[in-house]
Amino acid sequence: MVSLVIPSDISFVVLTAVTIIGAIIALQAKELIYGAVALAISFIGVAGFFTLLDAPYLAMLQISIYVGAVVVLILFTIMLVRREQGEETNPRTDTPEGSMGIWLAGLLAIAISGVVALAGTSLPTETPASNLTVSDLGPALTLQYPVPLIVLALLLSASLLGALVLAKVER
Amino acid sequence: MVALTSYLIVSAALLGIGIYGLTVKRNAIRLLFAVEIIVNAANLNFAAFTRYMNPPQISGQVIVFYSIAAAAMEAAVGLALILVAFRLNSTIDVKKLNKLKG
Repeated sequence: MVSLVIPSDISFVVLTAVTIIGAIIALQAKELIYGAVALAISFIGVAGFFTLLDAPYLAMLQISIYVGAVVVLILFTIMLVRREQGEETNPRTDTPEGSMGIWLAGLLAIAISGVVALAGTSLPTETPASNLTVSDLGPALTLQYPVPLIVLALLLSASLLGALVLAKVER
Repeated sequence: MVALTSYLIVSAALLGIGIYGLTVKRNAIRLLFAVEIIVNAANLNFAAFTRYMNPPQISGQVIVFYSIAAAAMEAAVGLALILVAFRLNSTIDVKKLNKLKG
């Protein structure tokens, strides 16, 4: 349980608003740069959810990796491909696949919400008491799941090399 | 106290927003935004489920840890691909990137 000054219900509502509105603005903003900033705000909202869920380490990772690294990388890429703006960011709702996408997304979100609401009676409503702390994550990573961690390290270095090779300008 | 259902519905909403972006947008960077939003929805689900487990489990946090790292490298490689596509075609409109089309 998080010892927040404000009750978690209010913070949950605020975080929901920040996350959802940030995500919508990220996709709908006319300028790509504003979209990237809104995406960062949405990620901070998700980090707040992690704090509410007693996962402070995940919240820290979320802010340092997503907001710190991914969004900054996206910002730099936007600066490099700045030349074209405008009509590319406009949604293609007049084409059949465009309107179908909207219907598909809406239907999927409503269907999942409906299933969740129907199953809500069998889902837990109270958070069980937990004595897990940040220091439990380290042993879980290194002792319980060591192989995925090593594979992840290999994957990270491979993707770094791949990104370098891809982005290298050949002269 | 917030019920597990609330987190799942927020996650479903994020998934819907992400799929909307994937299907409707044509700018490659926007598609990357949408993918990141979907990954965040999945992470939120994992963190919520693992918190409401009884007895408490930490495995969900471990999965989110891996997922965040994987999403970071996916963004790096994806942006490098977008840069290459821009250099070769001077556009990142996915509707115009059709050189491989028969």
